[in-house]
Amino acid sequence: MEKAIKRYWPVFVLPTLIAFIIGFVWPFIWGTGLSFCKFTTVKNVQFAGLSNYKMIFMDDTFTHAFWFTAAFTVVSTVLVNVLAFAIALLLTRGMRGTNAFRTIFFLPNLIGGIVLGYIWQILLNGLLSAWGKSLLALNATYGFWGLIVLMCWQQIGYMMIIYIAGLQNVPTDLIEAARIDGATSSQILFKIKVPMVMPSVTICTFLTLTNSFKLFDQNLSLTAGEPAKQSMMLAYNIYDTFYARSGPQWKGIGQAKAVVFFLFVVVISLLQLHFTRSKEVQA
Amino acid sequence: MKAKKTLSVTLAAAMAAGLLVGCGGSASTATSTAEAASTADSTSTAASTEAEAPAAAGKVYYLNFKPEQDEAWQDLAKKYTEETGVPVTVVTAASGQYETTLMSEMAKSDAPTLFQVNGPVGLANWKDYCYDLSGTKIAGDLTSDTYALKDGDQMLGIGYVIESYGLITNKTLLEKAGYTVDDIKSFDDLKKVAEDITARKDELGFSAFSSAGMDGSSDWRYKTHLANLPIYFEYQEDGIDNTDAIKGTYLDNYKNIFDLYINNSTCDPAELAGKTGDDSRNEFLNEEAVFYQNGSWEYTNLVGDGKPFTDDDLTMLPIYIGVGDEANQGLCTGTENYWCVNKEASEDDINATLDFMYWCVSSDEGTKAMANDMGFVIPFKNAVESPNVFVKADKEMTAAGKTPVAWNFSTMPSENWKNGVGSALTAYAAGTGSWDDVVTAFVDGWASEAALNAAA
Amino acid sequence: MGATKKDRRINAVLSVLLTILCIAWMYPVFMILMNSLKTERAITTTHAFELPNAETFVGLKNYIYGIQEMDFLSSFWYSLVITVSSVALILLCCSMCAWYITRVQGVLGKGMYYLCVFSMIVPFQMVMFTLAKTADTLKLNNPYNICIIYLGFGAGLAVFMFTGFVKSMPIAIEEAAMIDGCNPIQIFFKVVCPILKPTMISTAILETMWVWNDYLLPTLVLDIKTYRTIPMAIQYFRGSYGKVEMAPMMACIMITVLPVIVLYLLCQKYIIDGVVAGAVKG
Repeated sequence: MEKAIKRYWPVFVLPTLIAFIIGFVWPFIWGTGLSFCKFTTVKNVQFAGLSNYKMIFMDDTFTHAFWFTAAFTVVSTVLVNVLAFAIALLLTRGMRGTNAFRTIFFLPNLIGGIVLGYIWQILLNGLLSAWGKSLLALNATYGFWGLIVLMCWQQIGYMMIIYIAGLQNVPTDLIEAARIDGATSSQILFKIKVPMVMPSVTICTFLTLTNSFKLFDQNLSLTAGEPAKQSMMLAYNIYDTFYARSGPQWKGIGQAKAVVFFLFVVVISLLQLHFTRSKEVQA
Repeated sequence: MKAKKTLSVTLAAAMAAGLLVGCGGSASTATSTAEAASTADSTSTAASTEAEAPAAAGKVYYLNFKPEQDEAWQDLAKKYTEETGVPVTVVTAASGQYETTLMSEMAKSDAPTLFQVNGPVGLANWKDYCYDLSGTKIAGDLTSDTYALKDGDQMLGIGYVIESYGLITNKTLLEKAGYTVDDIKSFDDLKKVAEDITARKDELGFSAFSSAGMDGSSDWRYKTHLANLPIYFEYQEDGIDNTDAIKGTYLDNYKNIFDLYINNSTCDPAELAGKTGDDSRNEFLNEEAVFYQNGSWEYTNLVGDGKPFTDDDLTMLPIYIGVGDEANQGLCTGTENYWCVNKEASEDDINATLDFMYWCVSSDEGTKAMANDMGFVIPFKNAVESPNVFVKADKEMTAAGKTPVAWNFSTMPSENWKNGVGSALTAYAAGTGSWDDVVTAFVDGWASEAALNAAA
Repeated sequence: MGATKKDRRINAVLSVLLTILCIAWMYPVFMILMNSLKTERAITTTHAFELPNAETFVGLKNYIYGIQEMDFLSSFWYSLVITVSSVALILLCCSMCAWYITRVQGVLGKGMYYLCVFSMIVPFQMVMFTLAKTADTLKLNNPYNICIIYLGFGAGLAVFMFTGFVKSMPIAIEEAAMIDGCNPIQIFFKVVCPILKPTMISTAILETMWVWNDYLLPTLVLDIKTYRTIPMAIQYFRGSYGKVEMAPMMACIMITVLPVIVLYLLCQKYIIDGVVAGAVKG
């Protein structure tokens, strides 16, 4: 059987492989290479060694964007997951209307990042100005919380769905047995439900973590990095360095920033997976 | 074992293909552009195949900066193609994304042949791509060499539109308040009128100035355009046109005019941080304010179908800040839109582009479209008069012997500097910062940004 | 029984709370809808929350203007073409590829698999410039063949999800089909495909949500001289010198959002199940 299939590899694997090379492997290798070069439009590429990487750390917008992104990732991951889990708990109590609630909470997830950003820009600016506060684009703190609100609105529904599925898989007789043994509801929650949905927690934290860290569209349309790049996140900072600051030196720096950013993402993903997986085993 | 071999062979083959594709890029450009040209040709001239007789070999790809004029450019391009058979593609970048779009398009095989930069600072980034325009027909048609952007002996950019800004004034409301535009000849006059309107605000039902929105859609009116005035007068006094260290001689006057704006506006100064450019415009449209600092480009937003004003309602006054010979001060007039031709384009495309540019500013059709449809004043010999009432105001003032204020903001050291001044102004208006912070951002910020530029 | 009574009361309170929360949840969309029916001048930051009244109501004017001025229908068409073709291609190629790499032990399969997993965490910014350049050289820059780029960049997630599922499939049926004289292609389409259907749906949903809403990739890759997708078109309501055509922009946001909402309400069961399946596999 295996041999028979193997003969057909050009049919099964080749199309994907070619597209994969065009769409990922080659650009990735080339991009890594370019991060060591000085160039404008690939016509005049000069090898520049590590100088691009040195420049990254002299560019304070990048370090600022890094801390901004880090803070954003932590806050949004925690908020989204806690709230999504709480709503999931409520929706698994068997209330009437559960389906309608679930439908509504999930809906924002289907709206694209750019559109989402504009919707919230209009809404939040209206609110802020009604309260006599400065607009989103003038205050990085409002920009930060604006992004958090937006992220929650978009992601909670999605994570909630996953948590609901996880909670529904908790065997009811287990909970019944615990209740008969006199466990309180908070004991049931923390000793039974939470450990049992740990796989869902792993998935959800992984998803929110990477989504937040790589956030781009929403950042672009909600605040566009205003004021003065103070609300700019890493992904947007790279794009901005690469495309908006013309001048030959910036392309290489942008590409080098992208490599550094990529390494961050790898490290975070590995750490996170390792951390939650080890927790899962204990549970 | 066999699998391993197959894998390595395929991977190697695929990689080689990838490499070929990647490196062969520049070599195959010629053929692919030719292909693109022929397809573009067949689509854009489908309507006028018979007019293709003198078809030149080149084609034009114009990356336009001004979204408002997108439609007019598309029409003009179509007309040109009908007349000459040369395909012209016009693409307009979304607002605030000109640089990003230009960068991404320049990297493509079918790059723009005509693009624009905003002055010396913008030129510095793109000068490796700019074709030397000296000696071309269009350069010969310029009314003054001051509208050319030069780098050494090379003429790398040509200003194609002159714009003016000042205080857009609702004459009807001003008369209701008991004044005419002739009553305002200096800063003191302006202050008197504005403060009188504010004093009678409730009785009149409108304010002097529309709100000075301080977000990104509007703050350039103060951090860039208004800030131009103290810079201009300082340059005039010192007889220079650029500097690495601004002294801030006239910053007190800058403060006076800004104070006047924020204290006599439709809202409390502290609320300004919550206003946008759209708010400011809508207040003016809703007749809630007499004055609105903006430029000739606002004309189409204020007059026309569905807009409340006619030409008779509006005019533009100079921004008086109480410096120099105010009796002879004109509007702030200049350009920050320079055309550049892409040096990397093929010979044919460059020629086609130069012909197109020349046609736009010299032919009947072109000049008419630029004046009437786009509302531009163009600095070329054959220019047609624009119906734009603000442009007319500028012309009248110049004819009356007034000196226009030059656009010196193209010499501001960087965007960072503007942002610094902008945030300080916002904080000052909101009462959370002092004027000293504005002065620091203005003077010290200038020195440090200029030093950074010199180091880079 | 006392407990259930108390439970019921808590449930009632919670229901009310959740209803309020849901209304708040839907408010942003509602607000855009309201403002899209108002005249441009009535949309300032201070008036954004007011309902349209006799004076400011303009009916569908903004919708008509937005659709005509921005050539919104062609943007809609391009977005649709790109989404449908990319998702179809991803489903077909990646399911085949995934089946192959699980059934055939070898370096090719292993290598592909790990590369796919790796590609899932690479941020787009890493390859944005070189990918755009490659697509430009290969002329993969129009809505009709950009799906190859999407297949390449989206293959990771799809292959990963499909392999996860194929691994749990019993091999016996396929072997039986083989003995009956089917070749691998027939086996795949007649036997494997029907079993893969649930995973196909979840992958389709995830990929659709990505492609339909994607902004940066088409902006950089597509030939912007001729083609604009919806997220790109929305950007064009902002003019130079800070002017935003708020009213038509909101109208177009509504046109973008409404079909998605309708589609979602029609097949929400699949979508929600798909998300769950996708997450559990992922």
